[in-house]
Amino acid sequence: MALYDNKYWLLSHIRNSFITTDDTGLCELVMMGDTKDIKKHILSQETYSEPEGSEDDEDELEPQSYDIETEFEFGRERSNTAVQLEKFENKKKLHRIKHIKWEMDKSLPENYFDDLFVKRDVRGIKVETKTSMVSEVIQKYTNLPVNPFIDYAKFDGSGQVNIPTRKYKIFLTMLPESLSNYPIGICCIASAKVEELIGLILLQLSLNHPDVPIKSTNHYGLYITEEDGEVDSDFPCLSAKECIAKFSFNCLGLVEHKDTRTVTFDNSVMIAGNSHENNLRKKAIRDSKLEEKRKLQNMKLIDVHNKAMEAPLYQSYRVYKMLNRVRGKVEIHLGISGEKIEIDPIQQKNSKFPNLSKQKAISHHMDTIAWCEITDVKNSKTCFKIVYSLTFGGSVPNTADNSFGSYSFSPVLQTSASFKHYEFETDNSTALDIVQKINSILELRSSSSRKEYIAAKERKNYKRKSFNLSKK
Amino acid sequence: MNKDKTESDQIILATGGYDHTIKLWQTHTGICQRTMQHGESQINALKITPDKKHLTTASYQHIYMYDLTSNNQNAIINYEGTSKNVTCVGFNADGRWMYSGGEDGRARIWDIRSRNNSSCPKIFEVQAPITCICLHPNQVELFMGDQNGVIYRWDLRTNTFEELIPEPDAMILDLDIDATCNYMASVNNKGRCYIWSLEYGSTDTPTNLQPKHKFEAHKKHALKCNFSPNSEYLITTSADQTAKIWSVPNFTLLQELKQDSQRWVWDAAFSADSQYVFTASSDCYARLWNVNTGVMERHYAGHQKAVTALALMDVAAS
Repeated sequence: MALYDNKYWLLSHIRNSFITTDDTGLCELVMMGDTKDIKKHILSQETYSEPEGSEDDEDELEPQSYDIETEFEFGRERSNTAVQLEKFENKKKLHRIKHIKWEMDKSLPENYFDDLFVKRDVRGIKVETKTSMVSEVIQKYTNLPVNPFIDYAKFDGSGQVNIPTRKYKIFLTMLPESLSNYPIGICCIASAKVEELIGLILLQLSLNHPDVPIKSTNHYGLYITEEDGEVDSDFPCLSAKECIAKFSFNCLGLVEHKDTRTVTFDNSVMIAGNSHENNLRKKAIRDSKLEEKRKLQNMKLIDVHNKAMEAPLYQSYRVYKMLNRVRGKVEIHLGISGEKIEIDPIQQKNSKFPNLSKQKAISHHMDTIAWCEITDVKNSKTCFKIVYSLTFGGSVPNTADNSFGSYSFSPVLQTSASFKHYEFETDNSTALDIVQKINSILELRSSSSRKEYIAAKERKNYKRKSFNLSKK
Repeated sequence: MNKDKTESDQIILATGGYDHTIKLWQTHTGICQRTMQHGESQINALKITPDKKHLTTASYQHIYMYDLTSNNQNAIINYEGTSKNVTCVGFNADGRWMYSGGEDGRARIWDIRSRNNSSCPKIFEVQAPITCICLHPNQVELFMGDQNGVIYRWDLRTNTFEELIPEPDAMILDLDIDATCNYMASVNNKGRCYIWSLEYGSTDTPTNLQPKHKFEAHKKHALKCNFSPNSEYLITTSADQTAKIWSVPNFTLLQELKQDSQRWVWDAAFSADSQYVFTASSDCYARLWNVNTGVMERHYAGHQKAVTALALMDVAAS
């Protein structure tokens, strides 16, 4: 390169290299002073410049790189881009909102108000009688099926200022690959539940992709997902009833459940589309609803049948046996088979009164069992009782709990002298299962103790009725 | 589809309230199209400028103007200098000036087209917080109501005013004049509605008001009254959780717009042909009702708190 024989240029080059590569800025401080001298020398080296290259040389004959802006300040100047950006930012801030303060302007010309306030003649104003745009659009779309997810718009957090919101990247796995590779952004209010977030996503989906068939929210689950859209199937989906604020994952995948427990249909509900297909769609929706109902009924029947078939098979449940008021309840195993009912105590380790809560195993032949019913349904617990006969079948319960045995045999005899009952407590679904199971067995056997119990109950009802009547 | 888009784009339905957001809606689907932030305060009133380019909000100490033509979430102009809540705002027919009224007891005229942006030429002071202002279609008379129950007629040209007190010890909560300039209605906090018939006054003679009718519109506070554009109906909204449509000129009850969940009904706006009416209520919903049947046909979900203000710009269908 021609300029390499210009020693001043070389000097300048070395200086520049020092200055630009030194992050501490010390080189710049030390070397800054004599730029002018070098500039003078470079410009005086006329002899080295060739005529044809002179234009290029003019550009390069600067004593110092353009990267260095010489200002006598400590530290280096920031890059041009940063300075530009800041200027731009400030400009934007200034232009973002214009402030206009209310002030009385006394220097207004006299005819100013005449110009501003011109009285209009209001006689003979005609009212608009044409159909308005609102009426036209509303009447045009009267038959448009309402988007079933529209009410989930309540949970949209976008644009909300003073309430906590959560932002999610959602991958929609039901879309074709080209679209499901990219997440959509969803902003949801933080107090929403997972199923409400699903509804909000489905609302967005139905708006952006009206052709994609969408089922109701309980057909979908939100799964933890990688940033690249890979759904993590090792974890279960987020529980639908939980508040979304509980989970800290920002990247989720919406997956349609193929679970057999949730009924799926081929002709799923279509949300929006061209208006001429509306009637067809509505019919399809109606049909699918009817079918859904029918299928559900069938499933219920099958379920009942299955339960009846399985009833005589042995099954053990862990439930609480209710004792008297003082001692509360004790956990036991309740074993039920077609032949007998067994009550086995579970060893209580941490009990304060090991003797008090000590229970002996009890067994009743199924023929002595007369009745089983749910007595009380609380929030999360259900109580049920099993009534048994003391006289029938001859199998006197083999309890040997001497001190408190009588209590466990329930001091209250509501039905008849020869019947006693146990009370149990467990969670709602288990209680329902047990009662159904026992009743199925009892119906199959229809023992004489059961008959007598029912007869006694009816007699009692009759008595009560006749008593009421005579009172009147 | 494209045609539909342009059609629905001509309608502007804006709602705002206590959740500090303004939402714009697609009227026939009920989908929220845009949300704008109104960070500092609740929204007391919403108005769309006559040129449809801006949306104005009356809020605490400020009037904000939003750009409807861009996607800017934030206000572009802030009119300040008032000390308390601005309760009402509006424009003259050609959008040259804006009027506002507030709890500081002042009605102001803002020249919004002046070049230096600071010329705000007129002010009118009353004794109590101003609750409502209505501009007579003749464009020079402002009618104002205040919390002391006084209605003022302020002539902007002659700067003269007169006072009316329809009922002592009642706050005037809203005023409206119908498009044909035959009637003025006002409602108060006792649920009563007063009607005057108006007589046209030429150049410098004031409009003459004659008391015409008075009726019990609601059992609780009546919050808004609005004549329909065809001057055949008057809608009143109330804290008794209903809105009622009255037929003009007999002022008999035509429809009671009621929903079980609907709480206070704050605002209402008729479509340009007076066949439909939108309402805004405290249960976070805006609703669309058919005036002739009284049936609710659409609802607009998305606000997190009470919807207290509503603005509609509707046009005649081509």
